[in-house]
Amino acid sequence: MKFNKRFTLLMAFLLLAAASLSACGGNKPSTASNNDAKSSNHAANASEAKGSDKAGAVTLRFWSAHDPSTDQGRNIQQKVQEFNDSHDDIQVELQVISYDVLHEKLMVSINAGDMPDISWGLSEWFGEFNRLDILADLTPYMDQWEEKDQIYPNVLEALTVDGKLKALPNYLGIRALLYHEDLLKAAGYNEPPKTWDELLEMAPVVKEKTGKPLFGIAGTGVRSPQELIMYLAQNDVVLAEQQADGKFKNTWLDDPDQLARAAEVFKFYQDLVETGAVAQDARTWGWEEEDQNFVLAQYAMVVNGPWIEGRISENPEGMKDVKIAAPMYKKTPATFMEIAPLYIYKSDHLDATFEFAKFLLSKDYHSLVNPSNSPRMDVVSEGWGEDFMALTSQGVVFPTVSLGGITEAMEDALGLALLKKEDPAAVAQTLAGAINKSLEMTGELSGS
Amino acid sequence: MLAFFFFFAKRMVKFVLSLRERKFRRFAFLLILPALFFFLLLNAYPLAQVLWDSFHFKNALNPAKSGFAGWANYAAVMQDQYFMTALRNTIIWTVLSVAGEYMLGLASAIALNQPVRGRLVFRVMIIIPWIVPIVIAGMTWSWMLAPDYGIVNLWLVKLGILDQPYYWLGELDTALLTAVFINIWRSFPFYTVSLLAGLQSIPKDILEAAAIDGAGIRRRFWHIILPQLKTISLVVIFIHIIWTAINFDFIWVLTEGGPLHSSETLPILIYRFAMKQFDFGQASALASIMLTFMISCFLIYYYFFIRGNRR
Repeated sequence: MKFNKRFTLLMAFLLLAAASLSACGGNKPSTASNNDAKSSNHAANASEAKGSDKAGAVTLRFWSAHDPSTDQGRNIQQKVQEFNDSHDDIQVELQVISYDVLHEKLMVSINAGDMPDISWGLSEWFGEFNRLDILADLTPYMDQWEEKDQIYPNVLEALTVDGKLKALPNYLGIRALLYHEDLLKAAGYNEPPKTWDELLEMAPVVKEKTGKPLFGIAGTGVRSPQELIMYLAQNDVVLAEQQADGKFKNTWLDDPDQLARAAEVFKFYQDLVETGAVAQDARTWGWEEEDQNFVLAQYAMVVNGPWIEGRISENPEGMKDVKIAAPMYKKTPATFMEIAPLYIYKSDHLDATFEFAKFLLSKDYHSLVNPSNSPRMDVVSEGWGEDFMALTSQGVVFPTVSLGGITEAMEDALGLALLKKEDPAAVAQTLAGAINKSLEMTGELSGS
Repeated sequence: MLAFFFFFAKRMVKFVLSLRERKFRRFAFLLILPALFFFLLLNAYPLAQVLWDSFHFKNALNPAKSGFAGWANYAAVMQDQYFMTALRNTIIWTVLSVAGEYMLGLASAIALNQPVRGRLVFRVMIIIPWIVPIVIAGMTWSWMLAPDYGIVNLWLVKLGILDQPYYWLGELDTALLTAVFINIWRSFPFYTVSLLAGLQSIPKDILEAAAIDGAGIRRRFWHIILPQLKTISLVVIFIHIIWTAINFDFIWVLTEGGPLHSSETLPILIYRFAMKQFDFGQASALASIMLTFMISCFLIYYYFFIRGNRR
C-alpha cells in the first residue's frame, strides 16, 4: 500500500513535469504578458550567458546568415559585440543560421509565433513574409532617421509595399559580368561581349582556343530564377505586373509579343548549351558549382555578385585577371539587383529593434562589413565596389508577391528548356500558366 | 463438512487471486500511463491534426481561403502536375532499394557466415555504411560523383569506361537510379546483420543431414536456408519498405528531388507543398494518403503473416 502511494506520487510528478514541458512549447507572442515574460526570460539568459550585469535590458534575437569563418563574419560578430558593450538597455543575442536552412527555420518560428526580432533573409522571401503580415511597418522610424537619404532610393522603394516600408536593406547583390581577361585574350578578344549574339559568336572560338567554355549559368537552385529574371528583363519581359486592382498577373498569354520575347530567352539558354558556350553540366549547376568553377577559372565569364571578391584567396593567381563589366543583353541593359533585406518582425520592442537596425545601417558598420556591396551611397569601395554600384540604376527585382511557387516554376521551366529540350514557346506558355496558378493559390492573382 | 471447507477454501483462493490480479492490473496501467501520455501528445495528436487539416483549406499565404474543404485537397494533390511522377518514383525507389539491399545483404551474410580468417574484422567493417550519418554519407557521395572533381568519374574515365565525366546526380535518366544505388550501399548492412543472425540460428545438423542425403549447395540454399530465413526476411523487408517509402533526408541531401522532379518521391512532394508553397492542407492530404497506404501494408502483413503463424 505504501509502495502504491509512493508510485502514484511519482507518476503524478512525472505527469506534471511532462505537462510543464509541453506548456513551454506554446510560447506565442500573442499577448503583451507573454511577450514580457519572453523578453525577461531572454534577458535573464543573456545576462547569465555573458556574465553581464545588464539585467532588465531588452534582449533582441538576431538571426544572421554570415559565415563566421570569413573576415566579414568575424567583423559582424565584432560589431554586434561593440553594440552590446555600448548599450545598457539593449542586448543582442546573435545566432548564426546559414542560408541553406534559414528560410525553413524562419517559417517554423513564424508558424509557432516565435520569430526572432530581426533577421537576415533573401529578397525572394519578401513578398511571402509581407503576405504573412509578420513584418513591422518601419515607415515612421525611417522617416525620423537622419541618415535615410544615404540609402539608394530605388532600394528603399523595392522594400516598400502600399506606401509602407516593410524591410531594410542589408546588402546589395547587384550582378555584373565577371570575366577572366586572360582567357578572353588567349582567344583573341580584348573585351567581353555586349550582346547575347556576340556571346554566342565568341563561344566556339573561346572553346577552340582555350579548351574551356566561355560562360557559366546556374540551371537549378536558388540562383537560377535570379538569372532567369535578369535575362527576361534584358529582353523587355516582365514576370508579373501589378494590375489596377493592386494584384498581380503574368500577361504573356495576353500579349503575343511578350510571349515571343520570353520564348527567345529560353531559346538563348538552349543556344548556350548547343554552341558549347556553357558546359553540359551547367544545365544543372547550382550556385556552388557556378561560383567554384569560375573561381578556379574553369570557364571565362559569369554574371555574378560582388561576393566573389571574397573568394580570391582560394585561387589568387587564377583570379588576378578577373575584370568587371555590365552584363550583355538582348534589347535593354538590365541586371538582377538582389536586395538582401534585414527583416524586422512585429514585436513589442520595435524601438529597441530599430535602434539596433540603425546600427546595422550605419556608415561605420558598412564600411567594415560591406565595403563593396553596401546599400549606402556613401560607402563604395574602390575597384569592385565602384564597378558593381555603377549598375544599380539598371537593376531589376522580383515582384513583391509570394515567390515560393513562382521561383519553383521558373526552375522547372529551365529544366524543360535545358534538360528536356522542349520548344521555347511551349516552355514560355507553361511558365506563364504556372506563375498565374501560383498567384491564384496565394490569392494574389489579379481578378481572383 | 469437509466438502464445504474445500469449496470455501477454493472460493477464497479465487477471491484473493482476483484481488491480486486487479492490483496488478492497476499497477500495470500506472506503468503504461507515461508512455500513453507521450503517445497521445507526440503521435496521436499530430496525426489527428494532419487528418483534420487534410479536410480544410489551410494555406499560410492565403488566409482568406479557409474552412472545410471536403475532398478538395485530395483532388488537388492527385491533379498536381508532378504527383504521378512522384508516385512512380516512390515505387521505383522503394522496390529497387529493398530488392537490392536484400540481395546484397543476403550475399554478404552468407559470405560472413563462412569460417574465413578475419571474419570478425569483416563483420565490423561491413556495418560502417549503416552507422555513417545520412547527411555525411549523402554529401560524400555527391562529391565523389561530381563531374568536375569527383573521384568516381575520374576512375571511370581513366579506366576507359567513360569518354568524359558524367553528371550522375544531375541527369534526368540517372539521378533516381544513382540515389537508389547509394541507398542500397548505405542500408544493406542492416540486412547483413539481421540475416547473419538468422543464418547462425539454423541448426547445423539439418544442413549436415541434407548434405549426407546428397543435397548440393544450391538445394540446401533453396530448400533449407531460405525457408529458415523466411521469418527474419519478411520482418526486415517489411520494415524497410516502410522506412524507404517514407525516406526524405537521403534523396533531399543527394538531389533535392531534381533535376526537374526526376528523383522526387512522395515525401519530398509533401515537403514542397508544406515548405515551398505553404499549403498545409494539401501537404496533410498527401501525408494522409501515405499514412493510409502504410496502414494498409501493415494490415496485410498482419493478416497474412502474423495470423498465419499463430494458426
